[in-house]
Amino acid sequence: MVKVQAQGQVRQRLLEMGFIRGARLRVEKLAPLGDPMELVIKGYHLSLRREESSCILVRQVTG
Amino acid sequence: MTLTIALAGNPNCGKTTLFNALTGARHHVGNWPGVTVERRSGTFEHGGSTMEVVDLPGTYSLSARSEDERVASQFLASPEVDLVLNVLDASNLERNLYLSTQLLELGKPVAFVLNMVDDAENRGVHIDVSALELLLGGPVIPTVGNREQGITELKELLGTMARGESNRCRRITVDYGHDIEGELAKLQTEICRDELLEAAMPPRWLALQLLENNAEAKRVVAESHASEAIRQQLAKSFAFLEPHLGADGATLVAERRYGFAHGLVKEVATAADDKRTPTARLDEVLTHRLLGVPIFVGVLALMYSLSFVLGKIPQDWIADGFKALSNFAAVRLPAGELTSLLVDGVIPGVSAVIVFVPVIMILMGCIAFLEDTGYMARAAFIMDRLMHVMGLHGKSFIPLIMGSGCNVPAIQAARTIESPQDRLITMLVTPLVSCSARLQVFIVIAGTFFTPFKAALAIIAMHFLGLGLAVLMGRVLRSALFSGPSSPFVMELPPYRLPTLKATLIHMWEKGSIFLTRAGTTIFAGATLIWFLSRYPGIANRQWTLEYQQQRQAVGTLKLPATESEERLKLLQLAHESRIVNTSLAARLGQKVEPILRPILDPDHKRAEAWKDVIALTAGFVAKEIVVSTMAVIHQASEEPKVGERLSPLQVALRDGSGLTPLTALAFMVFTLIYTPCLGTIAMIRREAGSWRWAAFTVGYGLMLGWGLAWATVTVGRAMGFA
Repeated sequence: MVKVQAQGQVRQRLLEMGFIRGARLRVEKLAPLGDPMELVIKGYHLSLRREESSCILVRQVTG
Repeated sequence: MTLTIALAGNPNCGKTTLFNALTGARHHVGNWPGVTVERRSGTFEHGGSTMEVVDLPGTYSLSARSEDERVASQFLASPEVDLVLNVLDASNLERNLYLSTQLLELGKPVAFVLNMVDDAENRGVHIDVSALELLLGGPVIPTVGNREQGITELKELLGTMARGESNRCRRITVDYGHDIEGELAKLQTEICRDELLEAAMPPRWLALQLLENNAEAKRVVAESHASEAIRQQLAKSFAFLEPHLGADGATLVAERRYGFAHGLVKEVATAADDKRTPTARLDEVLTHRLLGVPIFVGVLALMYSLSFVLGKIPQDWIADGFKALSNFAAVRLPAGELTSLLVDGVIPGVSAVIVFVPVIMILMGCIAFLEDTGYMARAAFIMDRLMHVMGLHGKSFIPLIMGSGCNVPAIQAARTIESPQDRLITMLVTPLVSCSARLQVFIVIAGTFFTPFKAALAIIAMHFLGLGLAVLMGRVLRSALFSGPSSPFVMELPPYRLPTLKATLIHMWEKGSIFLTRAGTTIFAGATLIWFLSRYPGIANRQWTLEYQQQRQAVGTLKLPATESEERLKLLQLAHESRIVNTSLAARLGQKVEPILRPILDPDHKRAEAWKDVIALTAGFVAKEIVVSTMAVIHQASEEPKVGERLSPLQVALRDGSGLTPLTALAFMVFTLIYTPCLGTIAMIRREAGSWRWAAFTVGYGLMLGWGLAWATVTVGRAMGFA
């Protein structure tokens, strides 16, 4: 469950990529060096840095 | 009559493969006017009508934030476009449809290609094409681009549309809901007060962009006489919508578009099955916490050996061919200025250009292959942490890798980076990455002064030094030139796909020919200029030529054994040529510049011929590969080793006659690595950065950094007891 708190360019970009309210995402893994993370949203894989992903509010759901 | 078709779609949707399948070899690669985004266009014919297909840059949206998106949306809005062909990745339909909602809003007829249906089927996704047609309001053709399935049907469809025999396009609009639609209508009323604005783009489309807070749309509106009224209405709409629907305009618009896409997908496609895809299984290994980095290093190593071991074979053929041609010309033509121009200037110049093409093509082929398979995104994923710490973007790593092939396409590759700041920094530091032209210099110099093992170490060290400096300078430049956050790292990790041989070959050919056209002019001109500088005024001195001929005749009258006579003639020739070179314009230039470089190339001030290095380095401004060919000309020794010998005559001459020591040779390599980008790179930076200022800046900081590090190499080396 998602809400994007970022501003400006990051915000628009995330919205276009499917980070909208109610979307489901799954954190797949972290990169070998610990930063960007791999997410699955709307059935595709995306990588985000901690910086950007920290702007996304999520609520854990099961299943 | 010609129909212009704009090919639009997300990145990684197989658009370019489809473009190649449609147009075959009949295409042209250029640039979009005013910007540096690649423009691919081609034609095909069907039933007597010609269709021009323009491949737009792959974008996720048309909100015009990056240069790619700006180009795409401007072209799509232009009257030139008769039909939009939207390529959809069937295995990732929902996100692909987001762009479709925007394309539908542009008001042009849109036809759809449902590409990679095989991938979708493998994931258990079955798509009802006729239902999709109905909901999208345009014809949909399922294809498998890389196996050219569905291409005939697609051509047939485009043909009927070109002849106006099809009216399968209906206007479908995304319904944004009662509240938003109300505000859109009010905004449209204000927009329509300005007829110019109304004509420029569909008012609904402009109104939507305004609601999204799009900077480009605001700029368009600011130029209108109705701008004040529109601004007021927009403020009112925001004031109404935000508290009412609990989010700002951009979120609301995106939500409704995704809502449309989501509903559509639910209607026409079955859900993907849960089994792990091959991509997920591959990624378990390729981006593994521990294995990811070593695999990446291995891929890089493989790329290098392919380029420089395999690429060496055709390279040798070409070099041998030109050598034979040059010898043939030297024997057949009478001695003189023109022959010298041909034998010492033109032929080596052309050879220096063409000899390079196989390596460029193989390396670019590898890079294209990695990009098309989807591994490049993983490389950026793996490297981003490191790059980010150094002030760069994970995507900057790709240009840096490419830079090791040739800086010129690498700087072009920086186009993929969205933020202008990140892009500029990447472009400014990429020239520090050792390219394969510099590799040629390193091979000659290191091979001369070091054992094969140490030479390999030195060359590898140069590559790491270049990469390290690029990364370091990235950090320095970011803090010196810009303040503010770096651009977001939102990057898709596309499914792994096996690209077709055709796609890779086309890419190789394009990169090879781009190199040839740029090299053909700059390197060739440089070689000719250097020939002129190093031969004049001596070559035109009739007295010297006369003396030389008399000496040759004198040897002939001695009636010596053939081998001895030949040897004497060779000595005479060398004496004659060195007399010309030692008094040439280049020599005078070198002697003037040499004191500046003395601390790094001649620290003991013992080398009488240090100016020869200066000439070679000066020539390197034109292109790094010319450093070697200039050395060959100036030292009057061939670059090609004799049969059974490890060192070429040039290397022997450098070792025995130049006075360089292993330490100063290393300093020479360091300086060559950094001192300046070649002319082609400088021209490319100017083009990509949009001003000579950045190009000049790159040269300036390179010269200073290069001198400083070469000096440090000599100073530290001597302090440690090396010579």
